[in-house]
Amino acid sequence: MEHDLWVTALLNRFLAGPANAALSVAGMRPEDPAHPWANYVAMEILVALIIVVLFALLRPRLSMDRPGKFQHIFELVYNFLHGQTDDVVGPAGQPYLAFFGTLFIFILFGNLIGLIPTLESPTMFVPVPFGCALATIVFYNLVGIQQQGIWKYILHFTGPVWWLAWLMFPIEIISNLARPLSLTVRLYANMFAGENVTMAFAGIVPLLLPIPFMALHIFVGLLQAYIFALLTMIYVAEALPHPEH
Amino acid sequence: MKTKLFLLLAAALVLASPMFAQGGAAPAADNHHWIWIASGFSMAIASGLCGLAQGKAVAAACDAMGRNPGAAAAIRFALILGLVLIESLALYTFAIIFLKIS
Repeated sequence: MEHDLWVTALLNRFLAGPANAALSVAGMRPEDPAHPWANYVAMEILVALIIVVLFALLRPRLSMDRPGKFQHIFELVYNFLHGQTDDVVGPAGQPYLAFFGTLFIFILFGNLIGLIPTLESPTMFVPVPFGCALATIVFYNLVGIQQQGIWKYILHFTGPVWWLAWLMFPIEIISNLARPLSLTVRLYANMFAGENVTMAFAGIVPLLLPIPFMALHIFVGLLQAYIFALLTMIYVAEALPHPEH
Repeated sequence: MKTKLFLLLAAALVLASPMFAQGGAAPAADNHHWIWIASGFSMAIASGLCGLAQGKAVAAACDAMGRNPGAAAAIRFALILGLVLIESLALYTFAIIFLKIS
């Protein structure tokens, strides 16, 4: 049985009943009815709560005339995401900035929360990156269907020239199906490997040797969150109608 | 319009709940010791080849930045993107190893 973190233990102590009820509504049974909450579920919810609290603290401090430090930090993040969306998707992609930004911030906080001693990254467990990848895949397909209509969207898989359509269509379908797999495995394996490498080196020289690996893990966490959001933007850009056609 | 999009997205995500019912038993064959040797070699080969590829990417990026310092931001972006995609190939091997050594 997986060791419970203190957050998970709290949830299992007080909310085990509602969790079992919710799972049985969905037709699933937990392996151990005394511990229906998994570590990654508890950590995910904690990450979401932290983000909500952070933005709730930000909102009253926003000001046009005298922006504070908090506002400057978030303006940096927003300008960065806005600039990336403009570069990658173009001005037509601005309505979807909320989705890209949410993915980026959730994955970023999810990656970084593992550095706090008694907490774990939810992105270290397969279901969480898979959930983000599934959301991305469903999102860009829905955007494509909404913007182009379903027949034109399916036709865009055939590529730029009609006499290569027989080749392009299967290739495009397979590469689209490989996208959730690659998004999931990239994020999951990076976080899982980072944690394991830190643990492995902590077994050799306990307090000092993990330090450079934890620094690398911070950098990799930032980078992986950025790459996930960037790839989502690229997929949405592909799904949107291109003016040169 | 946006509400409909979000509602469709939420419905599709709820439909994904059977994913949690995954289970998988790795069959323990008689010659399962080969898994240890094979995983060591495969990870080493994957890491070595990805190291070579990333070295080529970094070398090309440094050359280009030296030739055209004004384009450094665009080159750096392409470099980071390329490095991450190559890195993920080595990590697919890592993921398979951890799935098989269960």
